[in-house]
Order: sequence, then C-alpha cells, then structure tokens
Amino acid sequence: MKQIILSFVGSFAPAIFFNTSKRNLIWAGLSGVIGWIIYISIFVRTGNIVISVFAGALSIGVYSEIMARILKTPATVYTLPGIFPIVPGVPAYNTIEYLVKHDLEKAASTGIETIASAGAIAFGIMLMSAAFRFFTKKNKK
Amino acid sequence: MKGIVVNMNVHQVTSIAIRAGKILLTSGAEIYRVEDTINRICNAYNIRCDSFVLPTGIFITAYEDSGEVTTLVKRIKERTIDLKKIELVNSFSRSLKDSTPSDFVKAMELLNSIEQDKGYPFWIRLVSASVTAFVFVLIFNGNIREGIAAAIISSVIYSFKERVLQIGIFPYLGFFISGIIAGGMSLVITTLFEDLNIYKIIIGAIIILLPGMAMTNGIKDALYGDLTSSLNRISEAVFTVTAIGAGVALLLFMALR
Repeated sequence: MKQIILSFVGSFAPAIFFNTSKRNLIWAGLSGVIGWIIYISIFVRTGNIVISVFAGALSIGVYSEIMARILKTPATVYTLPGIFPIVPGVPAYNTIEYLVKHDLEKAASTGIETIASAGAIAFGIMLMSAAFRFFTKKNKK
Repeated sequence: MKGIVVNMNVHQVTSIAIRAGKILLTSGAEIYRVEDTINRICNAYNIRCDSFVLPTGIFITAYEDSGEVTTLVKRIKERTIDLKKIELVNSFSRSLKDSTPSDFVKAMELLNSIEQDKGYPFWIRLVSASVTAFVFVLIFNGNIREGIAAAIISSVIYSFKERVLQIGIFPYLGFFISGIIAGGMSLVITTLFEDLNIYKIIIGAIIILLPGMAMTNGIKDALYGDLTSSLNRISEAVFTVTAIGAGVALLLFMALR
C-alpha cells in the first residue's frame, strides 16, 4: 500500500512540472503506479533490474496506449510521467560518482546497467506502441 | 485530394507547419511526431512537402505546382518537457483533417496562444519538485527527516534553475552549480544532524535534474530510426549527469579531505 501511494505521487508530481493538463494528471499518476507495481513485484522475485524494468515499461505501454485511445491524447502524455519512477536517473548519477572515486570497475558495471535499463524501457514502450498501431491499421482495412 | 478551397499560399502553409513543429520540438516531442505533424499540416492544405527534423533544428521544403520551391529553416535552442503543448498541437493538427481554417492569421493566432501557455504557476511547480524529492527519498528507503531535507534542497535548486533559465547562460553551467548547491547544502545538513544519510539526501535533491528521461527518449529515437537525434539526446544526457556529478563531487571531496 505504501508503495502504491509513493509511486502514485512519484508520477503525479513530475507530471505537474512536465505541465500535464489537469484532466490527465490523475491518469498519468496511475500509469506510474501500474509500472511500479509490475517492476517491484518482478524485481523482488528475480532480482534482475533490466527484466523487471522491461516488464514495467511494457505494462505502462499497454496502459498508455489504451488511455490514449479512450481520452484522445498522444500516448506520451501518460508514458513520460509513468516511467519517471523506473527511469535510470540514479544509476546514471552513481556511475559518475564511482568515476570520481576512481572505482572504475563499479563505474563500468553501473554505466552498462544504466544504458541497459534505459534501452529496456524504451524498447518496452516502443513494442507496445508498434503493436497497437499494427492492430488499429489492420482494423481499418 | 479533398478539394478544399485554399486561399493560403505555400509560404503561409509552411510557416504554420514550421511553427507547429517548433512548439512540438521545444516541448520535448519525439522526432517522428514532429515530422508527422508537419507532413499532416501540409497534406491538409494539399501541398507536397519534405521535412527533416533534428533536435536542434527543423527544415521544411514545400513544392509548388509551378515548380517553385519554398524552404524554411528554424533553429531550436532550448528544449523542455511540456506535455500540455504537445497535446494541444496534436489536436490542432488532427482538427485540420476535418475543418481547414482558411484564414492564415487565425491559425497563427491559435498556435501563438498555444505557445504562450504558461502552464502551472511557479509555486505549484516548486511544491511538486520538493514533493518529488521527498517521495523518492522514501522510495530509496530513506526516513522522513531525510526526505524533508531533500525536499528543501530540491526546492532551492528548482528555483535557482528557473532563474538561470530566464537569464539564459548555458545550461550545463546551471547543472554544475545545481550540483554544487546540492552537495553543499546536504553537507551542512548532515553536519548538523549526524544520523542522516548524505547519499540519500543528495539523490532525492537532484532527482528532478537527472537525465534518465533524456536517456530513455534517446534510445526511443534510435528505435524509431532517428539516429542523429538519438545520439544528440544521449550525449545531452551524458553531459548533464557529468555536470551534476562533477558539481556534487567537487564539494564532497573538498569536505572529506
């Protein structure tokens, strides 16, 4: 429960300084909750950051594409705030910190982890938007 | 195509298209969306056009039936994330399909009003920045007092950043100084209250500046095939995090020696 509230605020507050319009704020927050729940529940079981982040991004992608079609807004409005809690900002900072401390091994491994999870998130979101586009185009024909 | 009576010349249509593209790009939209929108606007007025969009500029060329060519170039200097503007421009360009405003001045006024949208007032954004800092300290298993400390520092950094953006010195110096502020203030706080964890406070304080988002968007651009802009955004992310990290580290190391 604590996690749900935290992740909701953790996407709701960034959504405000991304200047999301008022009617979309709550939906953007919910998108963060869904992504975070999937991420944390898979992370607890497997301990693999990249896979859990990927699953989180997939779920955010599905949610955003559905909401985008219901509310007639671009899906980005829900994906950007949604991925804010799982995006690898902190590992990116840690990499620089290790570099400064001259702990090159750790810096390399955190750096690769940063790029891998950013890639996993981007790929997850992309996959869903491609899938949705594929099906809507098929329906039109 | 649809035979709408157009009393707008090619130059005016491309101006509308490039204006819409500029708003989208400065609001942090993806490259493919900007190109899509520009093409859609041109198509709505039955004009053949090619667009080439980089994160730092937009190029549009429109072809007239007489064989003449109109080209517009727009340099883009600053980019933030503004989802409301993306939403508004998106619905503007989609509305063109059903009803084409035949009046150039009207369409430009509409885009101007979108561009000038100020968004939420400063204090709400300030509060949301500090709430974000607070929440992320808790997510990283910090306690409430660390969260409050991070929230205070984060609001200082946010208001500093807002001022710097108005003056307009280069952004990376701004990030560097933000890093120094974060490092310095958290050092002061941890010397006053020794049981607090300095690492968690710093992370929370700079979470709004960290470029995880830019990194992810960069890779997203690459997946859509926009390689130039992908490299552009990823290097922007790397420079940002280096500037912040250097700022924080500078102070921490001076204090530890």
